[in-house]
Formats: sequence, structure tokens, C-alpha cells
Amino acid sequence: MRIVVGEGSCGLAAGAGKVHSALSGLGVDVGVTGCIGMCYLEPIVDMYDGERLAARLVRVKESDAGRIRDAAKSGDLSGVEDLRISAEDEEFLTKQTRIALRHCGIIDPESIDAYRAADGYKAIAKILGVDGGAGMTPEAVIEEIKTSGLAGRGGAGFPTWFKWNAARNAKGDEKYLICNADEGDPGAFMDRAVIESDPHSLIEGMLIAAYAIGASQAFVYVRAEYPLAIVRLEKAIKDATAANLLGDNILGSGFSCRLRIKAGAGAFVCGEETALIESLEGSRGMPRLKPPFPAEKGYTDKPSNINNVETFANVAWIVLNGGSAFSAMGTEGSKGTKVFALTGKIRRGGLVEVPMGLTLRDVIFGIGGGVRDGRRFKAVQMGGPSGGCIPESLLETPIDYKALGATGAIMGSGGMVVMDDRTCMVNMARFFLDFTAKESCGKCVHCRIGTKRLHETLVRITEGKGREGDVELLEELCRGIKDGALCGLGQTAPNPVLTTIRYFRDEYDAHIREKRCPAHECAALRRYSIDAAKCKGCTACARKCPVGAISGTLKSPHSIDTAKCLKCGACAAACKFGAVEVL
Amino acid sequence: MESEIVNLVIDGKAVSVPAGSTILAAAEKAGIEIPNLCFMKELKPYGACGVCVVEVEKCPKLLRACATRVSEGMVVNTQGERALRARRLALELLMGDHDGDCQGPCKLNCPAHTDCQKYVKEIAEGRFADAVSTVMETFPIPASIGRVCPHPCEKACRRRLVEAPISIAQLKYFAADRVRADGNAHKVNVAASTGKKVGIIGGGPAGLTAAFKLAQWGHDVTVYDQMPEMGGMLRYGIPAYRLPKDVLKAEVDAIAALGVTFVNNFKIGRDAEFSKLRGWFDAVIVANGAWKSSGMRVKGEDMDGVWGGIDFLRAVAVGERPDIGERVAVVGGGNTAMDACRTAVRVGAKEVYVVYRRTRAEMPAEDIEIAEAEEEGVKFKFLFAPDEILGTNGKVTGMRLQVMKLGEPDERGRRRPVPVPGKFEEIALDSVIAAIGQRNDPEGFDDLPKTEKGTIAADEGNFATSLNGVFACGDTVNKGAGIAIGAIAQANEAALAVDAFLRGGEYRPVKPIVSERDVTERDFADRPKIARAAMPQRPAAERIRDFDEVNLGLSAEAAMAEAKRCLECGCHDYQDCKLVRYANLLKTDTKRLRGAFHTGFVETELVSIERNQRKCITCNQCVRVCEGIAKKGILGLVGRGFATVVKPEFRDSVAIAGCADCHLCVDNCPTGALRLLAKKA
Repeated sequence: MRIVVGEGSCGLAAGAGKVHSALSGLGVDVGVTGCIGMCYLEPIVDMYDGERLAARLVRVKESDAGRIRDAAKSGDLSGVEDLRISAEDEEFLTKQTRIALRHCGIIDPESIDAYRAADGYKAIAKILGVDGGAGMTPEAVIEEIKTSGLAGRGGAGFPTWFKWNAARNAKGDEKYLICNADEGDPGAFMDRAVIESDPHSLIEGMLIAAYAIGASQAFVYVRAEYPLAIVRLEKAIKDATAANLLGDNILGSGFSCRLRIKAGAGAFVCGEETALIESLEGSRGMPRLKPPFPAEKGYTDKPSNINNVETFANVAWIVLNGGSAFSAMGTEGSKGTKVFALTGKIRRGGLVEVPMGLTLRDVIFGIGGGVRDGRRFKAVQMGGPSGGCIPESLLETPIDYKALGATGAIMGSGGMVVMDDRTCMVNMARFFLDFTAKESCGKCVHCRIGTKRLHETLVRITEGKGREGDVELLEELCRGIKDGALCGLGQTAPNPVLTTIRYFRDEYDAHIREKRCPAHECAALRRYSIDAAKCKGCTACARKCPVGAISGTLKSPHSIDTAKCLKCGACAAACKFGAVEVL
Repeated sequence: MESEIVNLVIDGKAVSVPAGSTILAAAEKAGIEIPNLCFMKELKPYGACGVCVVEVEKCPKLLRACATRVSEGMVVNTQGERALRARRLALELLMGDHDGDCQGPCKLNCPAHTDCQKYVKEIAEGRFADAVSTVMETFPIPASIGRVCPHPCEKACRRRLVEAPISIAQLKYFAADRVRADGNAHKVNVAASTGKKVGIIGGGPAGLTAAFKLAQWGHDVTVYDQMPEMGGMLRYGIPAYRLPKDVLKAEVDAIAALGVTFVNNFKIGRDAEFSKLRGWFDAVIVANGAWKSSGMRVKGEDMDGVWGGIDFLRAVAVGERPDIGERVAVVGGGNTAMDACRTAVRVGAKEVYVVYRRTRAEMPAEDIEIAEAEEEGVKFKFLFAPDEILGTNGKVTGMRLQVMKLGEPDERGRRRPVPVPGKFEEIALDSVIAAIGQRNDPEGFDDLPKTEKGTIAADEGNFATSLNGVFACGDTVNKGAGIAIGAIAQANEAALAVDAFLRGGEYRPVKPIVSERDVTERDFADRPKIARAAMPQRPAAERIRDFDEVNLGLSAEAAMAEAKRCLECGCHDYQDCKLVRYANLLKTDTKRLRGAFHTGFVETELVSIERNQRKCITCNQCVRVCEGIAKKGILGLVGRGFATVVKPEFRDSVAIAGCADCHLCVDNCPTGALRLLAKKA
């Protein structure tokens, strides 16, 4: 049997590299694939019997190498039975519909042949009329994309065909195609997974787009924090160029397209398309005024089209299977599938691709298995710092641009951070505003100073220094920033604040009026106390307390002097009897 | 080829502009101002400030006027609620991080907002006549006020945080004396006659200031005063050793020279009824001061030998030598008490006491006045209050004093004096001068409504009374007696109100919005200490023999050196600052959105350009002109978020060497963050 190790960044971080090394010296055929999407089960090793997946082994350790080899050689899987994925966990994948991620975790990302074997580069051949393809005009390609209903997966959800068409129709002999791979939302890694696991599908999608808009130069703007993605993409570009799938006169069709990688320096705002263009040009990444839109004046003031990785990853599939196959999935306003990075307090975290129209509950509970550690679901943050939180009462909301927008959150690029009842929503808003305030490019007033003031106010509230009227001040600032900020970063930065106020106003009020954090997360508002009934008088807590705030004699209940207490939590950690309560 | 014309409507006004124009340009053509802080015609629209946002019909978003191209049939509203709100928020956010220090604390603390910093600078540069002109934009009697003013300006002066405040008041009268001695009198331009007549009752600081202003504006002004000479309390209250009569006279004469008519020895009720006088004029200002001494309300105060403080000073001022005997007690702790005790010394009293119910620390009198009184042999009896004036046959022989101690602080923070029960002391005296306050005399002004205190009730903003065309200011209104510069401040407002009234309008003062700064000693720790100019004085033994001026005045060298100590707190660019102009235009609250703010005081890395991070609003204008127009690209933005600041590109100070000193950056800075320094050698 052939052994394949899942080696996306998450797998490698969990130890897949070590597992691979341990296996490779054992005389078995060890291959590599990208991200399978089940982060919580990494490292994952697949055993193939020919093309058939005979067994999927999870949470594999280096020390398991020997018995995996034995199983592979003998074909007797009983020795690795305990490592095999459970039926319940298998549902994580079987409940998904994968288009953008169709090859992820299946093919070898570093092999162009593997991609070709999986119908790779057939779509571009079909369009260019080579290798038996019929050929399609750029207009026909755009029409096919229009039929598919594909919309930008980077967050804004703008119809892809419309952007392509605008760039195609823009005046100018030089046009550029840009892929936005500056995935910056905390907790989002859909694009990284695609590049690491299936770089050729990105290249093919881009080739199709370049052909449609009439560009012969394309860029992938990828953040430098994705080194593995860059390495695999570089190799893919090299291999594709060698195969004449990139470069001049591609496959003899007369169509030329070169592709270059630009590594971003780690500014969140460079995910904003005009800031990305500035950065690409070598300037400080700060957004430009729109209009003019990039389709009219983009890179070096030439017509340019920008889409994100996931958008491009759908394109070849649409061309091969037809736009109507894509639009058959989803809701009236949102077609196809969407990839989500399910993280936070979720039982089964990872990458999930589902058809539009499923409810949030389907994804979080049906696929993700709900909240872990037996806690209660509280909210899900959709769309990262630009998005908003959605409370339990709205879990039946379908995955649909409009429906999600109505909740105050956004579809976003696919970040889905699940929060349980121990998460303080005010602190959550503070976290995101800390992020956006620091990541603001500093250009426009509303964002540069406005987000700073939002953050300061939230800090004040979480520190127990909130004042009556602070919520109203937050709301006023939020509305003003949405109205006045120059780019998407600033315009959406208030969303976490607005949605937490909308759905969890009581938590704000508790912090401000009662100086109480209902989730006990805000350290300044925490109060520790010892339950005399549970306390055995073991003195462990008193010995751990750095300020001597705990008094009591051996074998009799202890007590905490709240005036001295630093709220460090050392006592709670030290207590073996659960006698230290957080109030 | 003729360019295509686009028609649109801005604030209901039809405008036609060439296609491709921005809304901002179209508005400018229509004469509509859209505020903006980062727009420059020569550069690509930048759109950072967010102040130029406007509403456009059928567009869900606010649009930046600097960047949005006009289109046919566009309907723009520059004054919509939403646009104004966003604009105001942008300005409030900016002001919350703009430590503009718009105006020096000296000017802000002067009740009349005299531009102290400006005239001090002019004196430092030896431009004495300019300095006098600067003062005379606010009031006409700098030599007099410079001598008598308790100078609230100096109390606010930040130089006190280095070692001692600038001697602002003395500088003022130095310049005025010097210019008069040089025969270089300030030339006042008088506007063409309006044909309107204004009557002013009272020729003190308030009346003179109002007369000066109204005469300049072309009105025909007559000032009436009950005393033989003009000047009011400056002449009849302030002793000549502090303010020589000829100094005041010269300044009064200069006002007369503008065409103001002075009528002396004229008292309302005696020489004309107020109602009759009103009929002679188009407008009237009542500024008749507070000329009645307050009583001590103790037994025996009606006896012979008991004087009111200002009554005593007035008697001496008109040339009388009142018989006060050899042993005199002055009751009170204010400047009038100091004037009275020192005058008593000069008219021959051998033993002069000041009886004050608190301690020296609580005395409202100026420290220097107290010190000079001590030098002149005055004895202070602190923590005593008059209990009874003792006497025989209706003539004072002494005073019984109640011993006091300090109790709890009152609402002003001064500790309240409380009697120590049963403890008294008696002193033998020939006379008692009660300098404990003064009141206005409402007699003859029955038509005017009064306050509870008996003063004339006037509007605190424009000093109008309830009688049409009658205004009132100075010690006679509202809170009553105060300092001269306070009366002058009111007179300036009253004059503006009268002028507006005569032109058929109404004046309402608007307090300008400024960005103020809090500082401590630490902010000036690096400043070298330079002693405040010492005022040369006549020795005490000599000066108690006459009423000649005690102070000898500063030399020009000393004055210039003193003026050079000025820290120049107020922003050099206040007049041209777009930020503060818009903040006023949109009535923004400068402090509402304060939080963390940029410090890092002044940087002079740039060749001859000083950059002040506290004032920078990160509009990037300097960076853009340096790159786009000067073609140097020396400046850049560094940092992210709130920490974004302008620095030499890539923080590389070597880049500065390429500066061509074109100072386009300075010229285009919308605030005072950049300033041109004198060229470095």
C-alpha cells in the first residue's frame, strides 16, 4: 500500500514532518499531500490501496511508523485499527461539498502530473482550443462565469464576471491580473490551504481569468508569513512554465501569460485591493480613493483585476463542469460553495466547504460537532475583524451574503470563530479593535484615530472603568467611522463592536454599571473566593499566592482578602478541590 | 477641442463645469466652501482627512468632494446632516490628538485677550511702536494699564515653570513710555463718520476703551464724567506713585485727539436726567464704575476719623491732605488697602497698620504691593477683624480687634477666618480707613433694572440692558467691582454691540474654539534658567516723602532681554490654521474625543524646518509636496495605525541632506506643525 502524509502547515505544525521522516526510512512508498482540512486530527496519514483510500489514520505519532509500515506491507490493517478515523469524524468530510478544495488532501501539491491526472489544466485547454479543446472566446468565458453566479470569496462578494467584464472593457493595451493571497483575518486559512495543497488550480484559474480580461502579466500577492505556500507556488509556477502552461504562446495557442509572486510584508490592510496595488508598486500599502476602480486604473494605473485565491480555485471547475452546475448549488443570491475556517471553541476545527444555503447550525453543529469541553455555544464571529458576531438565536441563518449581512456580520473570507459561554463579548470586541487599530494604515482620520478611540473605550470598559454613556459613544463612533473611513478596513472595523452591542448589550451594561464580567474573562473584574464547604484547608493556594492574600490554618477553610488579591488566578490553578471560585 | 460641460446642482445652486471636474472644484466655482485639510490642486486627490465629505442624491455613501468627479444632473448637498456629522467627527478626532496650543496662556488668561505674546515678541525684536499698536488693538491706555494691572497674563505665563513669568505688564508700559518719549505715537485710523452719536457715562478704563473703539469706527462719541478729569479710578483711586497723573493724562489726550468729546464735572441726576441724556444719543453706554466704599458694619464706624478707602484715596488724588493723624489703621487685604496704607504713610502718618482677618498668604493684594508697603514701614496685623471702633466725643481713639483663626476652606478654597471666642485686642488710633470693598451708585439710573447686588443688570455677552440702545459695562454692572482689564474686556464687547446696534444689527460674542495644552515643569526641564528683569525702584526712605513714581522703568536693553525669555507658547500659525478655522466653523468639541495623543515635542532634524509632532495631523501634505512637487521624496510615513508619523523616508536622517529648503512643506501644512526657522549658518 502507498502511504500519504498530510503536509499542510497545520499538519507539519502537529508533527507530520517527523512522521514522514520516520516512515521514509522504512522501505515503504511515502507520498505527500496538502491539507486534508481536519486540523483537530493532525497529523493525518492516508493509506491507499491503488487509488482507493484504504485507511485514514489520525493523530499519528512518530512512534507509530513501524506498525504503519507493517500494515502497509501486509495489507493487514488490524495493527493500526486504533489510529483509524472514527465514523463520526469521517462525517466531517462526508458532509462537505468540495469544489475549491477538490484536490486538497488528495493530490500531491508539488506534482504537476498529479494535478493533470486529476483533470488539471483541462479547463484552460478547453478555452484555448488546444489538446482537443473546442476553444472559447473571452466573452464566452465571462458569460460562463456569469452563469455560475460566482462572487468574490475574499469578503465583499462582488460578482466575479462583472469585475472581469469591466477589466476586459477598460481601455488600455496592457492589463494586469492580480491574485489577492494576503489572507489576514485572524483564524482564517482557507487560501493558505489552497495554495499549499493545490497550487496549480490557482494557476489555472488565473490563466482563465487572464485570458478573459486580456492580461498577459499576472501577480500573486501572498503574505510572507506563508513560506510553505510560497515554496509550493514557486515550484508550481516553475513546473507550469516548463510545461508551457505559463509564459509565451501557451500550448501554441498564441495566448501568453507570465505569473510572478510578490511576498507581502505582513500588513493586514494590504488585503484591501488598492492598498495591495500600492504595495505591489513598491509604495507603502495605503488604500487609494475609489473611483477610479482598479478595473479602470489599477497596477501602474493600468486596468487591473483582482480576485482572491478561493475565487480563482473555483474557476477551472466551473469551466469544466459548466456554470449552471455551480449555480445549481446555493441560494438565490449566493451560488456555489464557500470554504470556512472553523476555529475557536469548536469540537472539530478545520476547513469546511459547504454549499451556500446551509445554516450556520449545520456547519457549526452538524459538521463541527458543536462547542467543545461540554460548554454552551454563545456566538460565532464571522468574517474576522471586519465581520460581526452572531448569537445562538440566529444560528438558523443560511449561509448567504444577504442573510448574513442582515445579522450585522458578513460572509467575509470565511473565518468562523466559535465562542462559548466563557467568552466575554466586550473583550472579544476589544480584541478585534486592538487588531484593526494597530493594522490601520494611518491614512484616513476616521480609521487612524477613530479605531484607536474605540479600542481605548473598550479597554476602559473591560478594566472596570466604563462610564455611563460609553455604549452610546461607541455607537456614535462606529457609525461615524463606517461613514467616513476611506477603505473597507475602516468601514468594517466597527462591526464587531456594533454586533456585540446589538446582541450582548447586557454584557456591556454589566461591565459598566455593575463592574462585573458575566463570562469572568476580564481579569480586572474577576473576584476570587474560596468555597468553605469545598476547602480542605490544604494550604496549597495560600502557598501559591504571590501577595499573601490568602489566610487560614491547616485543615480549616481558607479565605481571600480581596483588597490584596491581584486576580492572577494562581490559587484557582493550585486548588485540587475546585474550592476557588471565580465570581 | 471644447471640453464637454457638465451641469449639476450644489446646495440648490445650478453649476456648470467642464467634465472631469471634482465636486470640490465645482463648489468652489459656485462660491460654496467645502472644508478640506489634505487637498492640493497640484496633486492627485488623497482623501485622508474625510472633512470634505458631501451627500449626493441617490448615492448611499458619503463622497469625498476632493476626489469625486461631477456627473450630469448630480445633486450635491454639502450641508446635509450626515455629511456635517462625519465632518465634525473627523475634526473632533483630529482635535483630540492635536495639541495645537493655539493661543498662549497669557492671551487666554487676559480678560480682554490682549495679544501679549505678540507684543512681547515685538519688544524682543526692538519693534516698540509695533508692540504699542498691538496692545492698542485691545485698549487705548497701555502705559496706564501696564502700571496698574494685576496681570492675570503673568499668572498663567508658562515661564513660571522654568523660573519666573515674563514681566508682561512692565514690558507693556515700557514700550508705551518709550514710544511716547520718542514722539512716535501710535497712529489710529478713524473711519468715515457714520453720523451716529454715542454717549458714554463714565470716563474710566471701560468708558475710555469704548470711546476709543467707537470713535475709530466713525461714531461721534461724548464721554461724561462726574470728576474734573478723565480716568476714573485710574486717576482718583490709584495713587500717583503707582500711576503718575501725566502718564494717564497723555493717554486720555490721545483719545480726545480722535475726536472724542469729554465732558467733566457732569453727574447724572444733577446735571441731566438719564432719560434726557438718552434722548441726545443714538446709543448710550453706562460705565460709571463703583465709587461707594463698603462699610465695616461695626459699632462706631460713623465716627469722625473713619474713612472709606476709595474716599480717602480720592481726597488725596484731588490734592487734599486729609487730617488722619499719626496712628492709622487700614482694614482690608486687597490692593485698595495697600494703596491706602502707603498713601497714609505719604500724607504723614507715623504708625500705619493693616488689619486683615486672614494671613498674608490669603491676601488678595499683589505680593509686590505688600512687600513695598512693608518696606515703607507699614505694620501688618494678621488674623484680626475690627470688632468696634472706639472713640470719645464722636472722634476715633482706637479700635477693638477680634482675634481670628483660620477655619475650613470656603468655596473658593480660601480658608475661612473664624473668631477665637473671647479674645480681643485694642489699639490706639487717630483714624481708621476701611478698604474692604466698593459698590456702584445706582442713583439717577432708576430706569435701568438692577441685580440683587444693586448693580445694573446687563447681558454678560453683549452688555445690553433691557433698555433699547442702552448698554452698561465695567464695575457698575452684574458682579460689580473688578480689575481694570476686566472692565476693559467688557467695554470691548459693549463697543462691538453698540456698533452693531447702530448698524441695525445685533452682536453676539462667540467664544473661539482653541486647542489648549496642559504642561508641567518637566516639559521645560531643559530650558536654561534666566532671571526675570528686576524693576529698578527708588529707595523706600526716599519714596515715602512724595508721590513720585516708585518704579523707575526698564531700560530698552533690559526690556528686550526680558521679552526674549518668552517661550512663545501660542501657535505661530493660529491665524492661518485650517484645522482651528474648521473647528470653529463646525463648532466642534475639542476635548470630547481625547485619549492617547502624540507627544515627542519638537524635532528640528530638517534643515531649517521645525516639525512639531504634537500639532501634526498626519494629513501627509508635506510628504506629498516633497515627493510630488519638490521631487525630493525626503519625507515619508512610518509606523502603522495611530502610531503613524511623518519622518524622513525610511527613518533615514541622511535623506535630510537632500532638502533644498524650498519649504513647500511648511507653506502647505494646514496646521502649525511645520515652521521655518531662521536659516542655520
